[in-house]
Amino acid sequence: MQTLFPWLILLLPLAAAALISLFTRPHRDLSARLSIGAIVAGFWLTLLLFALPGAAAQAYETRIPWLAAGGLQIDFGLRIDRLSLLMALVVTAVGGAIHIYSYEYMRGERRFSTYFACLSLFTFAMLGVVFAPNFVQMFFFWELVGVSSYLLIGFWFERPAAADAGLKAFLVNRVGDLGFLLGILLVWSRLGSVHFGELERRLAENPAALGAMATVAGLLIFCGALGKSAQFPLHIWLPDAMEGPTPVSALIHAATMVAAGVYMLARVFFLLAATPHWPAALHFLEGLDALEIIRIIGLFTALMAGLIALQQDDIKRVLAYSTLSQLGYMVMAIGLGQPGPAMFHLATHAGFKALLFLGAGAIILALHHEQDIWRMGGLRRAMPLTFWTFLIATLALCAVPPLGGFYSKESILAHAWHQDKLVFALAWCGSVLTALYMFRLVLVVFGGSPRRPRDAQPHEPSHIATWPMLFLAGLTVLAGGADVEGFLAGGAQGTASLASRLAGPLAHAPFVMLAGLAATGLGFAMAWGLYRGAYRDPLPARWSTLASALRQRLLLDAWYARWIGGSFEALACLASGVDRWIIAGAAVRGVHGSVELTGRLLRLAQTGKVSTYAFALGCGVAALLYWLIR
Amino acid sequence: MTPVGLPHYLVLSALLFSLGLLGVVLRRNLLIVFISLELMLNAANIALVASARFLNRIGGQEMVFVVIAVAAAEVAVGLALLAALYRQRPTVQSNDLDALKF
Amino acid sequence: MSILTVILLLPLLALAALAAWPSRQRVMFQAVTIGITFVELVLASLAAWQFDVSAAQSFQFVQKVPWIPSLGISFHVGVDGLSVGLVWMATLVSFAAACASWEIRERVKTFHLLLLLMNAGVLGAFASLDLFFFYIFHELALVPTFLMIGIWGRGGQRSYAAFKITLYLGLGSMVLLLGLLAVFFLAGQTTFDMVELAAQARQSPFPVARQQAVFPLLLLGFGILASLWPFHTWAPLAYGAAPTPTAMLHAGALKKFGLYGLLRVALPLVPDGARDWMSVLAWLALGNLLFCGLVAVRQKELDRLIGYSSVAHMGFIFLGIASGTALGITGAAVVMVAHGMLAALSFGLSGHLYQQTRTLELDRLGGLLRPMPFLGTALVMAMLAACGVPGFGNFPGELLVFFGSWPPRPAATAIAAAAALVVGAVYALRAVRKALHGPLPDAWQAADDLSNPWRRLPFVLLLAGLIGLGCFPGPLVDRIQPAAAAIARPLESAPAPAALIPLPAAALTRPPEEASR
Repeated sequence: MQTLFPWLILLLPLAAAALISLFTRPHRDLSARLSIGAIVAGFWLTLLLFALPGAAAQAYETRIPWLAAGGLQIDFGLRIDRLSLLMALVVTAVGGAIHIYSYEYMRGERRFSTYFACLSLFTFAMLGVVFAPNFVQMFFFWELVGVSSYLLIGFWFERPAAADAGLKAFLVNRVGDLGFLLGILLVWSRLGSVHFGELERRLAENPAALGAMATVAGLLIFCGALGKSAQFPLHIWLPDAMEGPTPVSALIHAATMVAAGVYMLARVFFLLAATPHWPAALHFLEGLDALEIIRIIGLFTALMAGLIALQQDDIKRVLAYSTLSQLGYMVMAIGLGQPGPAMFHLATHAGFKALLFLGAGAIILALHHEQDIWRMGGLRRAMPLTFWTFLIATLALCAVPPLGGFYSKESILAHAWHQDKLVFALAWCGSVLTALYMFRLVLVVFGGSPRRPRDAQPHEPSHIATWPMLFLAGLTVLAGGADVEGFLAGGAQGTASLASRLAGPLAHAPFVMLAGLAATGLGFAMAWGLYRGAYRDPLPARWSTLASALRQRLLLDAWYARWIGGSFEALACLASGVDRWIIAGAAVRGVHGSVELTGRLLRLAQTGKVSTYAFALGCGVAALLYWLIR
Repeated sequence: MTPVGLPHYLVLSALLFSLGLLGVVLRRNLLIVFISLELMLNAANIALVASARFLNRIGGQEMVFVVIAVAAAEVAVGLALLAALYRQRPTVQSNDLDALKF
Repeated sequence: MSILTVILLLPLLALAALAAWPSRQRVMFQAVTIGITFVELVLASLAAWQFDVSAAQSFQFVQKVPWIPSLGISFHVGVDGLSVGLVWMATLVSFAAACASWEIRERVKTFHLLLLLMNAGVLGAFASLDLFFFYIFHELALVPTFLMIGIWGRGGQRSYAAFKITLYLGLGSMVLLLGLLAVFFLAGQTTFDMVELAAQARQSPFPVARQQAVFPLLLLGFGILASLWPFHTWAPLAYGAAPTPTAMLHAGALKKFGLYGLLRVALPLVPDGARDWMSVLAWLALGNLLFCGLVAVRQKELDRLIGYSSVAHMGFIFLGIASGTALGITGAAVVMVAHGMLAALSFGLSGHLYQQTRTLELDRLGGLLRPMPFLGTALVMAMLAACGVPGFGNFPGELLVFFGSWPPRPAATAIAAAAALVVGAVYALRAVRKALHGPLPDAWQAADDLSNPWRRLPFVLLLAGLIGLGCFPGPLVDRIQPAAAAIARPLESAPAPAALIPLPAAALTRPPEEASR
């Protein structure tokens, strides 16, 4: 049972995807049911695995040989431990809710069955990443996550923006994956294995096994997370990916794909924490270690995305930049050497961010695909349920006790406080930004008076869509009670009482907790002052330079398109020119041409006149005679 | 006055041969070219006969008969070809017959 | 009679029978060609199934009939782990190509006769164990290629393309012939038998200086046939102009002859000559991967893009061969099988697209996924497979190439990985974006999908082969690996020239910063 259940959890979505695409495509309802059934079954099986005595207590693996050649042995297996079980629970719970919600959201879609097939394929790929026991298998599913996200983001392929967004997401991810692959190759060549457990053992036996490349290997692997978790400088795909259907945004950009990067970092944390060592060529970086760089990147992403989110007008883009910012916090936590809090924040964030996206989806549906927040307003009365669930998720995101987000974020901030006061101060500023942009969103969308055509009568979506929202809201409220960090650390459950855990932040780091609450309060007050009853954004009028820079996403996207895209095009142009004019032209045609030219030259001797030939003959005979007689 | 020796014959033969060659190379009229060819053959004949006489070897004189016989046959064939050619193209100028270039 | 002989004789017998058939009955020719190639596919699958994995480095299904004993030429067929997959792939590709030949409307009889001849040549080249037949069978397949491009080709450049491929590959074949004859004379002019030659080379290697002279000839000859950079410009041009079945069969199966020859003839017979050239080959492979990948990005027509992508994929195989490790060579052989199916699939799909739209200019296409869901989905999958997405056959092969090539050449491998992951994705997905995604132009509203299940069959089979190989590479890898290890052994075991220079071992292993302290 302990080995069968994980296999079922992993393979059910694949079976659903295969069945839908091969057989049940014309039967829309059946296809949706298959897909939803697979992931919901996965959710219950994951819960059962938690409940099974001993299942969660110790890590175990099940594997079958996949490929073996020349000293490289790659198995296809499942690693079941606390980390993967927790992640599987997050993926199936949040993903399941989103699957059900999709049934309502995508109702009128022509390629309804295809949508669910892609959704199931994505779930399969994500669960594959979660259960992967070795680097190669993780890379396999890692790429598959990229592909299925490409299919989902570009689902409305007839819209050029959606097709481009899918392409961009895939390409940017590929850049990160390149680093990941090189990291895998480097680690394999130094340590002789790709298996996580084996690598950890070998590194523990001989901490210097990675030699001079230790830090480089860690950073190369981090590149993979840079792409998937959309960290600076590879963050640019995520906001564009909002072109996909809203449930896809909820799935990919809240619970699963972007979380995969953080999950992977937690999984290979032992490699990142290896003794820092730089090769001679990078000697000038001596003193920095991999975790420090990761911390800086996470923090920078958190602040940058928080700033950009302040000036976005598209409801989904605000949420997208908020996701970037929160992922920055998780990566920063990894960089602080704390995978536990990072995973805790990942779990809570998956719940409330998915809830925010589902709420946004309900609003977008109700307003007939209107996404500009300045054309919404006053939705609190029209859509009370959506309002309340959205508010709960917002409060969780802004770390208001006793919601789940409060505990996970306080934990990260407390570790920052203990390790590096500067990091804490900047992260605290990030908290202020979080509260500011989220309450701006809530005030503009739900507050004030309606700013839409009179005849539009927005209403709540049907029950199929509201139940998943309520389910996620419940999770968000209750998540604070879960002792994720303790669970991951391997402690027996239930040692600390619920009450002591709930009061934990106050007991351990009262200053941090109060500072965090103050940040939220400050952000809320600023939002209240700026946006209560506002009809348009007051910021561009007051600080036009700043606002326009933020609206243009700090000019990063334009800069990338211009310099990186441009230089790639120039390189391709150069290669194509060389191919056309030098290889096919000068070289190949040159050979052809020189043969032809020689022929033309020799032709001149063939005058056709007898006397010329006779003269040549005479000369020849004379030369021959001279040579013979001499 | 020195007696006429082998070198005199050979010089005469070489002069005749060169005249023949010049005629072949420079003249355009095919009949003249033909006569020049005969001149070259006969120049060779003089050299052969003279060498045979002075070296007391009869083989050279035998060869001359063969050459004369072949030359006669060659003249017959050559003139016939010229006549046939003249029916195709009414010219005896070799420059007009250059269809065989490249 | 060996099953391989049967597979080889079938198309030749069918050829003889069809030659006597009246050319008016067109359907007959396609039916017989499809039938024969299907029987071949079944037989080859049977052979692959019965293949004894525990003895994968030795030849199985062997048949040897002496032909010219004085020169040591015999009809000798057999497969080991390296070629069994290739033979199977070649029959699958032949079947798909035969199915795709419905687009031919003129001179149907001649076309199918040539197709059968090409089919026999391809299979013979992979199954032959005699250098003479090995070469002759390849030429037998090459000549129909030239004719088919010249007569049934498409586009304005078809005579130029036919002319260019004839001269180019003729040159390659000639250089190759010189190399093969040189090997024959090196070995004492007693035999053309590859097995005996290999045994001889193993027991008493040929003089190193001679090997160094022979290997460049073989590399150049086989390299031109397999479109090694910079001898690749014939390929995209010819594939763009070729009729669909020819492009499928040549790009899928016949082009692998050059790579197979490197593995079967060049490396085992002249390993000492090969070793010095390996780093050169690795950089030329980057020319294929990176340079041709970049050129593919700039292509304006789908078939040219696929042609350049096919040339780029040869880079993986050359890189794997150049690694000289068992891992890399195994990977190269896996990529050969996978790319055969992928190339046939891509050219088959683009050929059908051309039938519908009469243009393959990317700027004029668009949104075709909507009117052509089957073809579009298959093309998306082919393009994803082309950029090395897991789940398709190319992924395990490329992965093995990277793993095999990283220890000897990390820098080249890193560049190759960049070309594969990033540049490959750019051109593959750009093709999808331009041809299939985006708004649908009015002109193609009525474009017809492959609605007939029989016409879908070859594509479904090729896709199934790709996915099967991608998800379960084990059976193929188990067959290839022992043979690849045998090829890699003489390359790895010989003393490296660096050992001649006496250096203290500590100076090599100690990191420089410690040494300076």
